[in-house]
Amino acid sequence: MTTPNRTEAQQHADDILVFRRELARLEQDGVLALTELQRQALAAHHDALLAQYAQTFDIDRDQRGKQLSLGMRIVSSLGALALAASVFFLFYQFWGWFTPGAQVALLLTAALGSFGATIWVQHKDASGYFTKLTAMIAFACFALNLTMLGQIFNITPSDTVFIVLAAYALLLAYACHLRQMLAAGLLCVTAFLSARTGVFCGLYWLNFGERPENFFPAAVLLFTIPLLIRHDRFARFDATYRTFALLTLFLPMLVLANWGSLSYLPLDRSLVQGIYQVLGFAFSAGFIWLGARRGWNEVINAGFTFFVIFLYTKFFGWWWDVMPKYLFFLLLGLSALLLLMVLKRLRAAALTLFGGGSQ
Amino acid sequence: MIAWSRMKTLLTGCALILAANAVALLGVAHNRSDADSSLRLNQRELRAPYAWRATSENSGISLTLHWQMPMAKEGDTRYGNPAWLDETKLAALGFRLPAQDGAAAAKQRSKAVLLVLELDGPARELALQRLRQRKTNEEALLAANPGKKEFENRAKLAQNRLAQEENGNSRLYLIDAGLDHGTLRTQYPDRARYAIIRGTVRPSVVKRDNDERLIGTVGSLSSRQINVPREFQHVLSKRPEAERQPGNPQYQFEVAFGQRLEPWIVSAMASP
Repeated sequence: MTTPNRTEAQQHADDILVFRRELARLEQDGVLALTELQRQALAAHHDALLAQYAQTFDIDRDQRGKQLSLGMRIVSSLGALALAASVFFLFYQFWGWFTPGAQVALLLTAALGSFGATIWVQHKDASGYFTKLTAMIAFACFALNLTMLGQIFNITPSDTVFIVLAAYALLLAYACHLRQMLAAGLLCVTAFLSARTGVFCGLYWLNFGERPENFFPAAVLLFTIPLLIRHDRFARFDATYRTFALLTLFLPMLVLANWGSLSYLPLDRSLVQGIYQVLGFAFSAGFIWLGARRGWNEVINAGFTFFVIFLYTKFFGWWWDVMPKYLFFLLLGLSALLLLMVLKRLRAAALTLFGGGSQ
Repeated sequence: MIAWSRMKTLLTGCALILAANAVALLGVAHNRSDADSSLRLNQRELRAPYAWRATSENSGISLTLHWQMPMAKEGDTRYGNPAWLDETKLAALGFRLPAQDGAAAAKQRSKAVLLVLELDGPARELALQRLRQRKTNEEALLAANPGKKEFENRAKLAQNRLAQEENGNSRLYLIDAGLDHGTLRTQYPDRARYAIIRGTVRPSVVKRDNDERLIGTVGSLSSRQINVPREFQHVLSKRPEAERQPGNPQYQFEVAFGQRLEPWIVSAMASP
């Protein structure tokens, strides 16, 4: 048996609790009757496992613990953001009083110290909440470090800062199993690749957002990474990659479907919009199918969300000005009902096709 | 195994932080190893943020570089597009300009270029000449139409505009753009008057009297904010108005632009 990580341990603990409830029901209905010896052996085995997981990973052992954990996750995320902001403002409050040498020394010490602290806290903190907090501060310190170096020495802004920040965020993400840091890293990777695409196409790098097509190579890369590299040891990392990939694909597509003049394509504005509207529908439908086929819930959800957004944007363009508002919203409601019916049929077909569901 | 992995993470992270800082600082050292140009600028070109000491949230201070464009013949376009940034110049800067299709040309986005700033040179002299001429013309009109409010206002406006240009506005003029530093430096060899900096230019179409014209606009300068190190901050402390000599600068800085065309303050001179 391989050593589980925190997520696997939590999943195992949840399975034990479900098993115990079902066993109680079966015994109550007289379907199954364990001997006293078997019952004691089973309970002892499960209790030992739960105790071990609780000690090693600080998992939630019951429903109440889970509810409290959710609260702790929210509090640690908010606390991390607040502390990161505090680091920024603390430096801004006092940096003017130091010489450039002292400023650099302070920034470097903060970046190195917070990184060391994160690794130390991760070693001590089984729950992961405090690790998340210190990792966020470490990332803020390093971002502050690079930003302030630029400000102190009037350095010309460069897109390479994104790839350095991405490398740091991804290191924290993989070392500490933190999806928040993975998200920060993927945002930086997206910014870097989009800026580079813009430069390749003749833009000044800071203007990469003016051409939404610059984001497409990043979307392809983010979607490909979890296909090439397995993330079994990192809970929901592959889903995070796919979610960011789809956002990076569909959001620019949505912009281009409505503002065709922003495209690189040397075509008429309305033709560009038409092309991206068709592509928007085709890709979202395609990703719904792919998500259902591969059991990727986040892909199905993103596909549905953007399919509906593309549809409603089109309805708005066609009918908002020519229809009474009550009729417009009635049509939206009816289209939602139609979609529900189609989805219900698809669900039934998927159950038949994939043998009772995915995963 | 776990301890080694943690150590490896620690070393990788520290190496990344140190390498990023080292690369940035080496770049700064290279930039400051030799100044490409050095200009003496005062509060007309380097503006301090309003009431900077009063805002206690930020103890640092950056000065904002202010410049003007050479005025077009027909009027005052200080903050619009420079007169020299025409279709020919845009083509020389590498913009593709399809004939008879200004909209397609204007669809092109910003491009990084090198810009030339001139301190108190012919561009400013020409601007002053035009403003003096304008003032003379307006005064002549007022003399021909005595007592008329409209002409009084126009004469006053022309006078104020000239006074502002002589004593208040930035003496830095953005006079040229190019792609090659060597070519620009050969063209503008005086390093105490001409600074070459990085910036962006983009084409756009203006419609005037049913006529479409392709022009270029300057988007941004990459080093518009110049940090004031602690050792020079005392120069910015305001002295009572009565103590200052009229016409004298409140503060003056020697600003160098280095090998990477990034500026820094070399020295500071307080107001006399």
